[in-house]
Amino acid sequence: MPASVDLPRWRWRRRADEALRAFWSESLPSKRSHWRDVEFLVLDAEMSSLDPEEGELLSLGWVVIRGGAIALDTAHHLVIRPTNSVGQSATIHQLRDCEVAAGVDAAQALDQLLQAARGRVLVFHHAPLDLAYLDRLCMTCHGAPLLQPHLCTLQMEKRLLERREQALKRGDLTLGSCRRRYHLPDYHGHNALWDALATAELLLAQLAHRGRGGKLVLKEL
Amino acid sequence: MTESLPAELSEIAEFLGASPPFNELTGEQQAAAAASLQITYHPQGDQFEQGAQPGGLRILRSGAVDIRDGQGALLDRLGEGESFHIDGLNAEQGDVNATVIEDALVYLLPDEEYRRLRSEHRSVDRYFSGQRSRRLRRAARYEPQPHSMMREVHTVMARDLLTVSPMETVQLATGAMSERRVSSAFVVENGELLGIVTDRDIRARYAAAGLDPSTPVEEIMTANPETILGTDTLFSSMLLMTQRGYHHLPVVEDGKLVGIVTTSDLILARQDDPVYLVQHVSRSDSVEALVELVKGMPNLMVQWVSSGMRAQQVSRVLTAISDAVTVRLIQLAEAELGPAPVSYCWVGFGSQARGEQLLGADQDNGLLLSEDYSDAHADYFERLANFVCDGLNACGYDYCNGGIMASNTEWRQPLSTWLGYVDRWTRSPTPDAVMRVSIFFDLRAIHGDALMVEALQAHMLERASSNSIFLAALAANALDASTPLGIFRRFVVDRDGEHRDSLDLKKRGILLATDTARLHALAHCIAAVNTDDRLEALARDKHMAIGDSRNLADALRFMQQLRIQHQAAQVSRGETPDNFLNPNDLPKLAREQLRDAFTILDDAQSALRQSYRAGLG
Repeated sequence: MPASVDLPRWRWRRRADEALRAFWSESLPSKRSHWRDVEFLVLDAEMSSLDPEEGELLSLGWVVIRGGAIALDTAHHLVIRPTNSVGQSATIHQLRDCEVAAGVDAAQALDQLLQAARGRVLVFHHAPLDLAYLDRLCMTCHGAPLLQPHLCTLQMEKRLLERREQALKRGDLTLGSCRRRYHLPDYHGHNALWDALATAELLLAQLAHRGRGGKLVLKEL
Repeated sequence: MTESLPAELSEIAEFLGASPPFNELTGEQQAAAAASLQITYHPQGDQFEQGAQPGGLRILRSGAVDIRDGQGALLDRLGEGESFHIDGLNAEQGDVNATVIEDALVYLLPDEEYRRLRSEHRSVDRYFSGQRSRRLRRAARYEPQPHSMMREVHTVMARDLLTVSPMETVQLATGAMSERRVSSAFVVENGELLGIVTDRDIRARYAAAGLDPSTPVEEIMTANPETILGTDTLFSSMLLMTQRGYHHLPVVEDGKLVGIVTTSDLILARQDDPVYLVQHVSRSDSVEALVELVKGMPNLMVQWVSSGMRAQQVSRVLTAISDAVTVRLIQLAEAELGPAPVSYCWVGFGSQARGEQLLGADQDNGLLLSEDYSDAHADYFERLANFVCDGLNACGYDYCNGGIMASNTEWRQPLSTWLGYVDRWTRSPTPDAVMRVSIFFDLRAIHGDALMVEALQAHMLERASSNSIFLAALAANALDASTPLGIFRRFVVDRDGEHRDSLDLKKRGILLATDTARLHALAHCIAAVNTDDRLEALARDKHMAIGDSRNLADALRFMQQLRIQHQAAQVSRGETPDNFLNPNDLPKLAREQLRDAFTILDDAQSALRQSYRAGLG
């Protein structure tokens, strides 16, 4: 289940600025809500390094799950203008300096994200990395980490496989491998929005297979 | 529409653009439609019925869905890129549902957008109102596999062609034809088709005319035969053949001779007919081909049931198919391993022997070997048995849990060993031991020297009928399970596990009737193994009152009918067929009839107790 954010938010309440506190004041879905009644914001970020200490966010993509369905009219993609050059990682992300230069700056990107994330549970595939970047950015801009409830599809899949006592091999938990387990189509797109969509579809598949017959509520996730 | 689709998701618009009728829209319109989509995921077994929320057109991004009518008949099977509008279908003809048969990722085009597209684009509107519903209406009239005659000729033609030169003698040509087991040969010179010689030409123009065997084929061939294209439909070739009285048609592709179709190929193309399915099985040339053929069986069963075929007939057909699969596998094994060194008989036990198989039956079989068998032959028969048992398993006849399979050395023995087994089973029978072996007493030769099976069965009948202790043990077993009527004559259903609140119609109904008939048949030396045949023989020979025999047969027939309808419904829903029925789901009349059936079984059990357990408690 998504860890409670009440206590950490209370601890950070003095250091968070007005904008972040306003974001926090939005009511969150109850833990006893059926998952279909919960709105999720499924996110993916691309960055210039796997180390949040030295890298920067390059792009963000997100899409909303509402009423058990992904709403494509909520799909959003942002290219972020970094302070440094994109350098080596451009070959991975297919984002070139010139495209990146046309983007918004990181603070604006975060504000758009906060707008979209209001009252919604965040979802990532491998949350710790993306969250480390977002928390860092949020600290710089608003004085405290994001502290929004979140789910991680990778973690959910890992627990599921462990419960079935399957030996995990390297690569079993990549987004592509997880999707194949649910017969989701192979995607080859490589941008943050496309990966966010792929993660959202994976979440729906995981919930559909777990929720068979029963009523799966938020705190069981 | 507030937003258009971000460029990063252009692949979704492209996918939509590749699916009719959206291919008729401009790229911009496609992107706008894509932006309004909602994506959902549905595991196998999910169903959509009239009024499914949210409403709209569901386009399959991946997976597969079956569309069926209220009777369970398959109207359409949809795959990637195909779409359905469940409320639209129901408005057309009513009582239509959709079942996910492979995990599906669905793009939902909400009703508002769907209606807007239809009103703004004539081509889109025409697609959904015209072609779509026409196809469905056609399918809804009972006509299994309406498209089978629309298949192209190249899918059924034989490619293995026998060609002869025009100066070849008739004698050589006929020799080659009978050796290759073909009924026609092409007369070809310099790659050009001059004519065709068929078995009919030979009879009419050569044998009847008393020509010399050294006559060149040129003189009796049909010159310049009419040809068809590989892409022609079966329907048009059938038409040509009946109009002109042809039995063979050469098939040409790019001006070159590539194959031949015969009238029997065309008849066989009607795969939905059980007779032809059996024929196809015996023509399959690999295990893979068999697996492919047998895969369609559940859907065929649904169609047979919904077209009114009775349970008994369905069982007979399914048994005939599993017999054919077994025989074909044995032939394939012999083709690989060479002919058998000594004679043998492949024997089927249990429901296969009784001709009472249903979907999902396990395999129960054994091998009887000739008395000429020696250790030198052990390896051959082991490989043959493994080939066949593995093949059956691949075809969906799962390995027998109890290991009653020819691949098990114990059940792959010379006749004398089998006779010894029977002596051992009947010598010191305990109910427990008898339970394990009772399945062997339903046996039937499937392939090979049937005399050995007859000898084995005669021995069984002799040993069993004269052995009241053995019969008593068998009766104890048959009485072990009881009908779910209970003392208050109310249904008692299993309350644990997956099948809570449902009753096992097989274990607590059908098998009781089968066990009862077997016991009486063994006691009275009746060789029949099919339960109906046994009951009939028992009444004919006055071992059972005609009324009792008919009642039991009716009860069995009713339960089997109930079971097969239950299983057909499960297959329609994409579930695995089982024997668990919830009496509360039945209409009142059927529930009453089921209760009657159980009462008859109860009475039959009391009679068993009287006849075989009297004095034994």
